[in-house]
Amino acid sequence: MKLLIVDDSSVVRRAIERDLESGEIKEVDQAATGEEAVKLYAAKLHDVVTLDITMPGMDGLTCLDKIIGINPEARVLVISALRDKATAIDAIKRGASGFLCKPINPSELKEAFQLLIED
Amino acid sequence: MDDQDIQVFIAGVRRYFDSLRADERVVIEPPFIKDEERPLLEYTGIIGISGKTHGAVCFTANGLMLKNILGFLNESPSSRETLCDLVGEIANTLSGNAREEFGSDFLISVPVVATEDDSGFRFPEEGRNYVIPIIWRSEKAYLLVCLR
Repeated sequence: MKLLIVDDSSVVRRAIERDLESGEIKEVDQAATGEEAVKLYAAKLHDVVTLDITMPGMDGLTCLDKIIGINPEARVLVISALRDKATAIDAIKRGASGFLCKPINPSELKEAFQLLIED
Repeated sequence: MDDQDIQVFIAGVRRYFDSLRADERVVIEPPFIKDEERPLLEYTGIIGISGKTHGAVCFTANGLMLKNILGFLNESPSSRETLCDLVGEIANTLSGNAREEFGSDFLISVPVVATEDDSGFRFPEEGRNYVIPIIWRSEKAYLLVCLR
């Protein structure tokens, strides 16, 4: 299984990677920007993407549109500090498979990830 | 921005530090309106706010507190770059969480990080600028809420 972690914070990217570390994940890529994420996703079609929203340059929701444009079946878990329902609903309508709020709760993250890969 | 709105940020601070699952709970002292002194510490994450509300939200802390937080995130060693990354991420999280109450018109920028040597941050002249003192594991930090 290939995982792509997209967040402008390297601390958050590494925390997500550690939280999701398991035998199921064979390959992890990280991207600090939406632009980088789209390029990586187009090249590798990762099984799961975790995606921040507030990033410099291309924001996460635009990045989500592009990933879904590449693969409408992409499994994208949005992980954002934006804690309002409208943003979560917007992300789901655009094709996200799930939405988690920061600060990240490792148990919730693992649970959401399991649900995604079992889907 | 009034005293009741500040409770939204206090709840966010509590949520953030509780998420670290540390052995010590965070202590949040009563917020105060800023005086002439700017309580900026070694590292400051600044988030610009636009939309219905304008201004900035800043989280400022010393390196020691940030290193402690990184320890709870199993992150080591802590370089200056990592400390800057973390202080910006905390400011982002505390600002973004406030949208739970203020809604999606509370627009937040990406973080700008300043250190004590190069901070050009100034409180806005108008409006009430709140300072929320935070104590965690004997280290102090501040959340500055400067909104109109």
